[in-house]
Order: sequence, then structure tokens, then C-alpha cells
Amino acid sequence: MHQYGVARSDQSVTGYGNPTDYDSTTGYGTTHGYGATAGSGPVVSFENVSKYYGSLKAVDGLSLDLRPGETTALLGPNGAGKSTSLDMLLALRKPTSGKITMFGSDPYHAVKSGRVGAMLQSGGLMPEVTVRELVTLVTGLHPRPEPVETTLKRAGIAKFADQRVDKLSGGQTQRVRFALAICGKSELIVLDEPTAAMDVETRRLFWNSMKEEVAEGRTLLFATHYLEEADQAADRILVINRGRLLADGTPAEIKARAGAKRLSFRLDKVDEPFLLGLPGLVNLEVRNDVVQIQTSDSDATLYAVLDAGYRPTEIEVGSLGLEQAFIAITAEDDAANTGAANTGAHAGETI
Amino acid sequence: MEGTLLLAKAEVLRIRRNKRYLIFTVALPVMFYLIFASSGNSAYGVGFKAFYMVAMASFGAFSGAFNNNAIRISQERKDGWIRQLRLTSLPANAYVVAKIISSLAITVPSIVIVFLLGRFYGGVHLPIWEWIVLAVAIWFGTLIFAALAVAVGYRFDPDSVQPIAIVIYFFFSIFGGLWFPLSGGLRKFGEFTPTYQIVRISTDVIGHGSTSVGYVIGILVWFAIFLGLAVLAVRATAEAV
Repeated sequence: MHQYGVARSDQSVTGYGNPTDYDSTTGYGTTHGYGATAGSGPVVSFENVSKYYGSLKAVDGLSLDLRPGETTALLGPNGAGKSTSLDMLLALRKPTSGKITMFGSDPYHAVKSGRVGAMLQSGGLMPEVTVRELVTLVTGLHPRPEPVETTLKRAGIAKFADQRVDKLSGGQTQRVRFALAICGKSELIVLDEPTAAMDVETRRLFWNSMKEEVAEGRTLLFATHYLEEADQAADRILVINRGRLLADGTPAEIKARAGAKRLSFRLDKVDEPFLLGLPGLVNLEVRNDVVQIQTSDSDATLYAVLDAGYRPTEIEVGSLGLEQAFIAITAEDDAANTGAANTGAHAGETI
Repeated sequence: MEGTLLLAKAEVLRIRRNKRYLIFTVALPVMFYLIFASSGNSAYGVGFKAFYMVAMASFGAFSGAFNNNAIRISQERKDGWIRQLRLTSLPANAYVVAKIISSLAITVPSIVIVFLLGRFYGGVHLPIWEWIVLAVAIWFGTLIFAALAVAVGYRFDPDSVQPIAIVIYFFFSIFGGLWFPLSGGLRKFGEFTPTYQIVRISTDVIGHGSTSVGYVIGILVWFAIFLGLAVLAVRATAEAV
């Protein structure tokens, strides 16, 4: 088994306000607004959190910390427990066991004090009002509101602010949802698949305005299916599958953990046991004389082949994208689970 | 409370733009009054025009509070608007409270318009205090039916809420004698409905300046029942909205 947990001892967060401005009892920055720094403890902390729906384990002993000013992507296949985790974080659902802390208090109070702005996949909008009326309403409910015009501009919805909410396209609706998440001076922003239903151009605009929010020192957590997005926007990626945390690191680290180089060559006489023993090897595929290897260290793997006296031809070394890394990590976890179920309980499953 | 009022204000704004509201809460009672107010001599011991004024004001309050809300609440629960509101600093019950406040606000015009119609078209003359008692009794009805709407809207999905709301609407309109006065066996049964009780409190006040304690207890009991059902329905969905 591989250990994917990545300790980020080199963590440094800079430029997010001055530590002396941070009031640790209220957690509000006094002059810098969001001024939380790396030294002031986690914004969010999950301690061994589980959630069961009947006998179904949606989230299974999840432990993680979100650090101030950090942009974190939550990645996982459908049904991995992403939405349930975000629901619990936002006090919409209660954990079956374990504890969630946000800004040193419980999620409910953190949400009610306006310290969290969130955009849910399942969050609806009030129909029959205009975009501006809706944003004005939700802004009015925020303890620390931003000017309505600022929000409209930042979310890129000023152009259709006088249109009725129920007459918008999917992408426009999504941006209005986003506006509701940023209409106050929240320190943490939580987005569940924010760019679903957006076209490429809208998605680019979205991430541009998101970067402005983050530049002000806000902490951002987003769940996404678009791995490219996680790769580009996130400082840190959390991979979850079956309700458990499988990997935690920078996009580069995640790729490395999954054996993020691809090495392929032709070999006349393939000796599979030898190939399986190669250093750094994560996955091996042999088709006739074509060998394809996923490796965490392509140099070491290739040298070992050469040192053993082999002279492979048509050598190609390439990088794996985050997508392959993600698939590798979750596939390995799924395989491990299926294996355990078969040997352990004679479950009678067929693979 | 400030936030809840803000939400209630937005609710009123939307309802005013809704044609359904105008039709069911204002236009229909007015139309019925113009058509049917002269179709009888007397009912429940008062002139028919006075009875029909009370019945139509109650009908408007009932449709405004119940019809509008039950379907909307169900739809907004499904759409996730209630979830979205839970992410604001509003207290957990704000959505329901705002619905009830806005119902109270939007039934005022229908009650006032029907009363004006009764006074100037139907020639109903009453002492000021009786007008006030009538208005309060009917307005209290709004509260009862808004609670029922919450119970129904939270309990049923948008797909099934429409027919259920229509059945409830017809049931309380017909068996409450809102469209035509009840008599005989129908009345013995209808006496138990809150719609009948509200109409009778009003006609009794018009007829002899007082009303039976039974009706007053009746509407209070109905209010308690619907409020209890509403609380149960809201609690049942507390985790899943």
C-alpha cells in the first residue's frame, strides 16, 4: 500500500494581512478584513468525522485542517462524500460522530455570524425577483455586507442585474449563486462545483474574479469535477473516495504520489517479474513487446532497466496529468476495498 | 427579526408580481361577490349580501394564505432556496415566519376590497367595532391557513402537492360554506371546519353582536392543530432541505 498523506512542513502563507491585526478571540482581522495568517490555527478542522445514512457510510473518519488564506480543492468521484462533507461543514447536516470546528467554534455559529460564504450545488434562488433584488436581499441579511454594486461587478452579473432570476440561463444562475457567496466580507468561501453549467469563457471569468477574492486573504475550499481547475486554482488538493481522505498535497505532490510519469518502450524479451521489481514502479502494462509503466521516478526506473543489460527501443517518457493521478489514486483504493471484501467475508462478489 | 422582516418584504414583492395571487386572492372573490351576492335573501340570520361579503373576504384570505404558499413552499424546498437561506445569518425558523408574515400582509387588500364592495355595492351597514371584529376574525383565518400551507408544503413534493392543495382548497371552501351557505346534514358536518367557524363568528357578530364560544374555541383548536403539523413537517426535513 502506498501512503499518500503528504505532510506540508514547508507550508508558508504570505501576504494575508498582519498577524498583529488578528484578534484570536473573535477571529476578525481588525484592519485587514480577512487578515488571518498561517500562525493563527486552522480555519476549519475535521476531527475523525463520520456520517452514516442508515447503514451507508457517506463519510468515514475524515480528519483534515484548512489553513488560513489557502485555496483547497476537494476532489473525488461521484458519491465520494464531497457534498456530505461540505453540508456538514456548513451546518446543514450533523455528523454521526466526530467533531467539526470552524474559526474555533461550531459550524452553525460560524455560518450565522457571516464568516462563511457558500455556494451549493443544491442551493436554489428565489424566483420572481430580479437579480439585483435578490443580491440586495441576501446582502441585507449579511452581518458584514459588501456594497451590492461591488458584488454584482465581481460576480460578473451587473449586465443582467435587472433580469428576473427565473429567466436566466444555467451559467448565469451559477454566477448569481456565486454572488450570494461573496456578498459579504466572509473569511471562508465554500464552493460546491462552482463552474458546473458554465461554458469555457464564463469559467475563465469566474476563476479570475475568484482570484481577486483569494488575493484579499480569504480561505477558499471548492469541490470540483474539473481536475484541470483544481490543478490551476488550488494550492492544495484533497482527494477523497468512499468518504475517506486518500491524498493531501499540492497538485505537484499529488501527481508524484500517484506515479505521475509515464514511461514506455519496446522490449524483445519481456521479463515481467523483473519489470515488476523496478524502482518507482506504480503500474505496469505489457502488450506483446510494448511495455507501459507508470512510475514515481522515471529516471530511476529507466536506469534500472538499462543497468540490467536491456536495450529497449522507442523510449518515451511523459508526464501524467492530475486526471490520471486522480484516477490512479481512487482506482487503487477501490481495488483495495474490493479485494478486502472478497477475501474477508466470502461476499460472493464477482469481479 | 430584522432579517426575517427583510425576507417577508421580498416575499410580498414577489407575490404582488404573481398573477395567480391577483386572480385567486382578489379577482375571484370580487367576481363571485358581483355575481352571487344577490342570489339569496338571508343566511345564518343575516342578510345575504352581508353573509356573502364575509364569505368572500374569508375565501380571499384562505386562497391567499393557503393556495399561494403550499405550492411555493414545496417548490422552494425542492429548488434549494430554503437551503440557501440556511447559509445566511437568518435564524432557522425565519423562512416559515416570513411566509406567515407575508401571508398576513397580502390578505389585507383582499379583505379590504371585499369589505368596500359589501359596504358600497352590497349596502352592508355596520358599526365600526363590528367591521373591526370581522376583519380581525378573518385575518386570524389567514394565520390558520398559512400554518396549514407550511405543513402541506413541507410534507409533500412539488409533484404531489398540486392535487393535494386543490383537494384541500375545495374541501374547506365547500364544506366551510364559503361559496354557498350550508344547511341540513352538510351544515352538521361543515360546522367543524375552520372556514365555517370564521364565517359564523362574523355573521353572528353582524346578526346579534356576539358569537358562540364554540366557534372561537374551534378556530383556536384548528390553529393549534395546523401549527403542530407545520412544526412536525418542518422538523422532519430539518436535515434534508
